[in-house]
Amino acid sequence: MFDYTASGESLKSLLRLAPFLRQYRNQILAGFAAFFMARLFEVSSYYLVAMGVDVINLLYNHETERMTYSVGEITLAIIGCVLLRFVFVVFARRSIRRVGVALSFDLRQKLYASVQVQGSDFFSRIGVGDIMTRAIQDIMLIQKLVAFGMIFVVIMIYAPLFSVSAMLIKSPVLTLLIVPVLPVIFIYAYRMTEAMANSSREVQKRLSGLSAHTQENLSGIRTVQAQAQEVNEIKRFWKTNDEYAQAFYEQARINSLMTAWMPLFASISQITIIMYGGYLALNGEITVGDLVFFFACLNMLLQPIRMAGMFVTLVQRAAVATDRLFEIYDAEPEIVDNPSMQTPATIRGEFEFRDLSYTYPRADKAVLQNINLHVKAGESIAIVGRIGSGKSTLLKQFTRLLEVGEGKLFLDGYDVREYPLAQLRNQVAQILQDPFLFGEPLRNNISYDDLDRHLEVIWDSAEAAALRDTIEGFPAQMETIVGERGVTLSGGQKQRTALARGLIRNAPVLILDDCFSSVDTETEEHILNRLKRLRKDKTTILVSHRVSTLRHSDRIVVLEEGWIVEIGTHRELLRKQGTYAELEKVQTEGGSSTPGFDSADLIPAGV
Amino acid sequence: MSEQTHDHSLFEAELSGSVLNLHLLGRIMRWLHPYRLSLLVSAFLILIASCSAVMMEVVISRVLVDYIIVGETSSLMPDLGMIELTQWVESQLAIPPIFAAGLIFLVLSILFAITGHAHRLTLVGAIVNSLRDLRQDLFAHMETRPSSFYDKVPVGRTMTRVTNDIEALYEMLRGMGSLIGEFVPFFVALTIMLSTSVELTLILLLLVPVVALASHLFRDATREVFRLVRNSVAALNQNLQENLSGMQVVQLSQRERHNLNVYTDINKENRRQEYRSINLSTVYGAFNDSLAAIGLGIIIWYGAGEVVQEEMSLGGVILFTRFMNMLFTPVVLLGEQLNVLFRAMASGERIFQALDWDEQIHEPENPIELPGRLAGKVEFRNVNFGYSKQIPILKNVSVKIEPGQKLAIVGATGSGKSTMIRLLGRFYDFERGMIFLDDIDLNDLRSADVRSRIGVVLQDFHIFSGTVLDNIALGDPSISEERAITAAKTVNAHGFISDLPLGYETPLVERGSNLSQGQRQLLAFARVLAADPEILVLDEATASIDTETEMLIQDGLHKLMVGRTSILIAHRLQTIQEADKILVLHHGEVKEFGNHEELLSQKGLYFRLHELQFQDLDIE
Repeated sequence: MFDYTASGESLKSLLRLAPFLRQYRNQILAGFAAFFMARLFEVSSYYLVAMGVDVINLLYNHETERMTYSVGEITLAIIGCVLLRFVFVVFARRSIRRVGVALSFDLRQKLYASVQVQGSDFFSRIGVGDIMTRAIQDIMLIQKLVAFGMIFVVIMIYAPLFSVSAMLIKSPVLTLLIVPVLPVIFIYAYRMTEAMANSSREVQKRLSGLSAHTQENLSGIRTVQAQAQEVNEIKRFWKTNDEYAQAFYEQARINSLMTAWMPLFASISQITIIMYGGYLALNGEITVGDLVFFFACLNMLLQPIRMAGMFVTLVQRAAVATDRLFEIYDAEPEIVDNPSMQTPATIRGEFEFRDLSYTYPRADKAVLQNINLHVKAGESIAIVGRIGSGKSTLLKQFTRLLEVGEGKLFLDGYDVREYPLAQLRNQVAQILQDPFLFGEPLRNNISYDDLDRHLEVIWDSAEAAALRDTIEGFPAQMETIVGERGVTLSGGQKQRTALARGLIRNAPVLILDDCFSSVDTETEEHILNRLKRLRKDKTTILVSHRVSTLRHSDRIVVLEEGWIVEIGTHRELLRKQGTYAELEKVQTEGGSSTPGFDSADLIPAGV
Repeated sequence: MSEQTHDHSLFEAELSGSVLNLHLLGRIMRWLHPYRLSLLVSAFLILIASCSAVMMEVVISRVLVDYIIVGETSSLMPDLGMIELTQWVESQLAIPPIFAAGLIFLVLSILFAITGHAHRLTLVGAIVNSLRDLRQDLFAHMETRPSSFYDKVPVGRTMTRVTNDIEALYEMLRGMGSLIGEFVPFFVALTIMLSTSVELTLILLLLVPVVALASHLFRDATREVFRLVRNSVAALNQNLQENLSGMQVVQLSQRERHNLNVYTDINKENRRQEYRSINLSTVYGAFNDSLAAIGLGIIIWYGAGEVVQEEMSLGGVILFTRFMNMLFTPVVLLGEQLNVLFRAMASGERIFQALDWDEQIHEPENPIELPGRLAGKVEFRNVNFGYSKQIPILKNVSVKIEPGQKLAIVGATGSGKSTMIRLLGRFYDFERGMIFLDDIDLNDLRSADVRSRIGVVLQDFHIFSGTVLDNIALGDPSISEERAITAAKTVNAHGFISDLPLGYETPLVERGSNLSQGQRQLLAFARVLAADPEILVLDEATASIDTETEMLIQDGLHKLMVGRTSILIAHRLQTIQEADKILVLHHGEVKEFGNHEELLSQKGLYFRLHELQFQDLDIE
């Protein structure tokens, strides 16, 4: 769990929320005003009860001539006050809490828009899980601060304001005798909140320890049982289990201590009222009703002080949350879309890499080294290499998924950065290695870039990706929802769906990153033959580790540790007797264990 | 096959959980029983605490107002002996009555604080300990469920029972504890009120059903709104998560604007539902706050009449005003606790369903004892097996492995490779006459005995939290430290272990992944070698490992296989080539059998797998 202890510095970051809140200032002000009225009526109702007590006392002593109001009038007034308070409280709380919700709506919108322009470095730095936590937990913390924190501030201000001033009118001396205990309670409450937060953190830590232990154990249950470790593991679990129980007990103890001390402190003030207030009442300086009123005001006064510690924690945590949120808002997009407006509207598909090297941010070693490669328009190029040789990095240069590294990349004679990003990515269709599908119908997954395509077109591309039969096998056909909440596709089916998504765009350039690894060779052959016909005059670049796939291309590029080591047609490279020839031999003849090209190296990552 | 079959979908199902299930509470009692003394003490303490709280109010209203200020002592109204006590303290200490009252009030508040604290401690102690015991029993039970159970039920499901469901019981028992903490004072106060004025008490009690009704209506109204809020939050998170994970596809497809619009709609829906829930909860909250104040009005109005008729004293009226909170708080709390209670009921049902789950591996009644050392002959004889009866996984598989031989099994995902080794490890029940170990039917052996003779190295090697040494010896007292180290040295694990900060004493954690994939593999080899089983079963890792470590692994594997019958689910060409025999499985059938050269020349399935480099892919 993230540590939300804030330093003084980060409290300043709360100010950054001000621009977000500005548009809601009317609601906030209305809420504050309503709270003021609500407090006023609350104090009035206590005052009226006190009056009622005095009237009853007069009735009892048969001094009716001294009565200013009848009991009935007072009762009606009390009920009137209660009703008015009800209305104002509802209005006030509703206004403020709605601001909290509206604010988190805005924060989420901004977050969503911010992450959309980010590149891979951002996601490797912050990570999907972390962004999710910020979107869920941090925004919730800020919402809480606005909704409950503001209400708290109001209570903090109004409660003492009303109760102390009301008491001062009745008896200044008694009021001054009561007030000194308040700071003591405040300090105690604050310190206890800290202790409570610590113990609750400890409980959380133990609980996640317990979950982790359980998860770890159950995930490895086969090994546990295969090694006959059940008894040992049960014993080991006891320790974790008991530690959690102890932490839980400790937390309960601290909370209970707080619950016990608070009324004890309050009773100091109560005893003051009993003794000094009683003395005043005996002397006739105050009435019995006043005494009752003092008790009621004391309650009102103590209420916010008990909550003070909670408020401080709320502020601290929200400050850290704000910091974390703004880290996302502040991130500059890695890929700058700054078109020169000189480039042609249609891409032909000629690429030229000139002395291009690429190093990932915060890495020491370049992944691409001095790449020089000229891809002619309409040519098909295949790239092969071991894991980590830079294939995927190279492909990501084409669509600027990674910013162009050191050196130059030209597209149809213009620097690739001169093209509008939208045009580049629209006319260069790239299919990634990981066939990511969205939890949507298949038709949307295939026609992902344009939801208005004609269904026929979508079927055609499914056909081209050898997916027609599979989809026809689903009852809902193209409307079949895939993913967790729908049909689970096999690895090969996913790859072919991603392939269809790329083919449907019929773009001048098509880039395939190892898109056939889970597709069997026959189907692959079938798809490639079709592709050859469809994309006769268009540029196609693909990565594969199968010779059967590679040989279809006009030229083959062999990458090794970021360097291009071989380049040429299938035949040329075979004659060269180099890395490619060795690969071909292993795959077609059934191998060798020649040192230097261990078959183990051929197994791709992530399988 | 075991006679009783379990419907595992039951384990997934939403259980009823909507009715007050007294049977369930009865079952929880079994775990509370050992702590009954604590609970008894706790109950006694809350009674004392409640009485002191009530007496403090009596001191204010009856002693201070009636006795001291108004000078009214003759009233028939109860004072729990507080007036007499004040008089006694006055005379004993020779202080004015006002000081005596203050002193008594102080003593009572201290008593209240101490007994209240002690009550909560004893109660929580009993709850914490009994649920810890329940969790332990549940864990122990789940730990010994067979593989057939874990095949069908995702780990997450079982985990939820051990963690979240028990947590829900904590919530429930604690909630019930705090209800008791509110209701005992409620009844004590009620007794005093009734003996002060039956009519006024009854009038005020009329408000209780109003509170109860309001809380019921509120819960009804909110249930639907809260569900919609939860759904909209889930939709928000799901959309965001999906878009983050597929961001590159989104960007490549220029879908940013469209997706933002979709998200905005979901976000708006969430805001709308949140607004609705705010409307409800603010009204309900303010309503509860106001009830006590309405009560005050009633007391003043009715009390005046009573006082005039000398039925009640002024202090009596004040006493009623002071008790208002004690009257309504528990009722409001009860409404809130009901939700927790219902949730916990569902959790309780899930916990006891898990505890009652009696699925287990069938053990022989008269097991055959294995000799000290097995030769290591393994035979699969016409094995037909499916995890469920409808879907056969292995079809008529027969293979004989002579002692010391190496068999490599190859095949695509789902061909039945893993099933073969799972059956050999006796992780499932199967019929007699199918699998033999040194010509003894596996069904005549205890599963633990079988497993102690078979060293299994799975792909996902499991690290137990503990030191490196613990992970090699696995709590087996017969494995000395020297033997463990020798084993590590033999399989080339010693090198990287020595490089660890504390060597063999370095603590390992499963999730901390302080070991690389290759190192984990070497450690697994050391574990098997130290245990020295007669048969080795290896599910070779497919993950990419750097060449240097790969060579260490191959070498370690060679040494590990010496003098052992070895069955390998192989992915590395080298491993396969070196096997004595290769078995090619396809859809559960033996398709090809022979050595590397023989099979390659057949140009059949093996040839194709070879072309695909024996990756674990799903070939269609």
